Amino acid sequence: MSYFSKFPEMGKRDLRDFKKSIDGAYKDFSREYGEAIENFFDPLYYFLTWFEKLLNATPWPIIILVIGGLAYLGSRSWKLALGAMISFLLIGYLGMWKNTMSTVALISVATLLCIVLGIPLGIWMSRSDRVQRIITPILDIMQTIPIFVYLLPVVMLLGIGKVPGLIAVCVYAMPPIIRLTNLGLRLVDKDILEAADSFGSNYRQRLINVQFPLALPNIFAGVNQTIMMALAMVVIASMIGVKGLGMPVLQSIQNQYLALGLMNGLAIVALAIIFDRVSQQYGKRLQRHREGGHDA
Amino acid sequence: MHKSILSAAVVAGSLAISSGAYASDCGEISMADMNWPSATLMANVDKIILEEGYGCEIEMVVGATTVTFASMNEKGQPDVAAELWINAVREPLFAAMDEGRLHSAREMPITDLGEGWWLPPYTVEAHPELKTVLDILERPDLFPDKEDPSRGAFIGCPAGWGCQLSNQSLFIAFEMEKKGWNLIDPGSQAGLDGSIVKANERGENWFGYYWAPTSMIGKYNLQLMPFGVPFAGSENWDGCVAKGPEACTDPKPSAWTKSEVHTVVTDRFKNVAGPAMDYFAKRIWPGSVMGGMLVFMEEEQADGPDAALHFMEAHEDLWMQWVPADVAAKVKAAL
Repeated sequence: MSYFSKFPEMGKRDLRDFKKSIDGAYKDFSREYGEAIENFFDPLYYFLTWFEKLLNATPWPIIILVIGGLAYLGSRSWKLALGAMISFLLIGYLGMWKNTMSTVALISVATLLCIVLGIPLGIWMSRSDRVQRIITPILDIMQTIPIFVYLLPVVMLLGIGKVPGLIAVCVYAMPPIIRLTNLGLRLVDKDILEAADSFGSNYRQRLINVQFPLALPNIFAGVNQTIMMALAMVVIASMIGVKGLGMPVLQSIQNQYLALGLMNGLAIVALAIIFDRVSQQYGKRLQRHREGGHDA
Repeated sequence: MHKSILSAAVVAGSLAISSGAYASDCGEISMADMNWPSATLMANVDKIILEEGYGCEIEMVVGATTVTFASMNEKGQPDVAAELWINAVREPLFAAMDEGRLHSAREMPITDLGEGWWLPPYTVEAHPELKTVLDILERPDLFPDKEDPSRGAFIGCPAGWGCQLSNQSLFIAFEMEKKGWNLIDPGSQAGLDGSIVKANERGENWFGYYWAPTSMIGKYNLQLMPFGVPFAGSENWDGCVAKGPEACTDPKPSAWTKSEVHTVVTDRFKNVAGPAMDYFAKRIWPGSVMGGMLVFMEEEQADGPDAALHFMEAHEDLWMQWVPADVAAKVKAAL
């Protein structure tokens, strides 16, 4: 009866060989294609490096003004623009300017990349149930697989630094924008779509002029989640050598530097709040504008 | 059920032996299961021997050097750190030892260990002119930094590790900034190891910090480079280099300090588990045995407990010397 009391495991040796063969195959793959894959990501890499250098080379008053200006343009709120400028002044005063610029560069590019890839994927998913069935479990994996599981393989393939960091961030931060774009588009009332069809709009017109505006609240919720999750990954990205606010946090965790950890942690929070409020206000303004258009 | 039978057997066994004071005295011991292979292997071997041979009840506590040490120093938990690299925690550790709160149960539990700056073997072969660190520092062009290709990349120690400060100081002491080098922070052990694996699998040059005994060094046969300058005294090292550039701005160039590793125990452990202190005093892992075990762990993907069992079976002649004959017999019977 031992068959029932003890699980019929794969033998220890077989299991080990199985694991070793996967490791070996991955190493062979990395040796064979690593360089090509690395080169494939080079444009992204140069863009990121360029953007970070630009941020670091620009005199700080200009950055502050640009941030205030962007905040105002996005939100049309003086309070928010002023708050953003004050937070950046404080960040600079507390000696976190350079790291913050690195993090801003990484997060802006990561968010942009997630949105540019995520929204079309979400649209594709909303159009076909079969695509949705295939993509959903992939998103589940991306969101739940422990990050440390894929950090080492990514580093073995791409080395340490910005691009592997960006990939790690996007793997984790992209699912919400895909999911919520899909959800938003699927939630649009069928009657409205029928009405659009009956006015003779083609697929493209229907998507851009009808579905998309009506799905905006959900899509912006997705953008918000993506930004938040990208910022939450800053510390993890630092674990594979990405410069920025994550490094001092790592350092403070290991050395019990409470103040250092708290300051850099709060700087990450400040970035998150600024990024989020501006994008949310921008989203709301977009919707108000659209709604106004309907009423008129 | 199983466990109670086992402990009953241990109690019965200890009663039968006249020197059986070991067992009942030891009680519950927490032991640091540090997160690198040699330390987790040692801790798990200690666990087997202390549990089976001395009747302790061991609870493993996961942690890295500084966190484990801080916890031992502040709270007296865990009781045992099998492989504590003391360079990073020297001053508070010796202060605690002077106060009698912590004790070194064994100095240098592993032979042939050390930290330093390493090159892959093929780089050494292709560039025989690179005999010392000083030679390497003249050639940043051989180790281009991907993010800044005009400069060389020196892979330092992950953020927050004790060695990070020493590497930062030496980076300044050797004027590496001026010589065209960037100090790259790999961020974590995954980052550091990944960079070595990537470079070695593709035959790229790599120059950075690592330490032995590790499977990484054994597997890729990395070469420890002599610094080309003598060790510039412990005053420079402990008082300046190890404190990092923020605390000390003018470190002098120096070879890496001789690594000291201790098995550190709390005062409580010394009092409740006296006989086990004798075990620690005798327990010395030859570097070659440790190196072999680390490659075994890597190749067989064995975790600490598995590797410890393998060690107990494969190196009976070694561990039998660490304990009195009656304890050895008990441990052997339990295996």
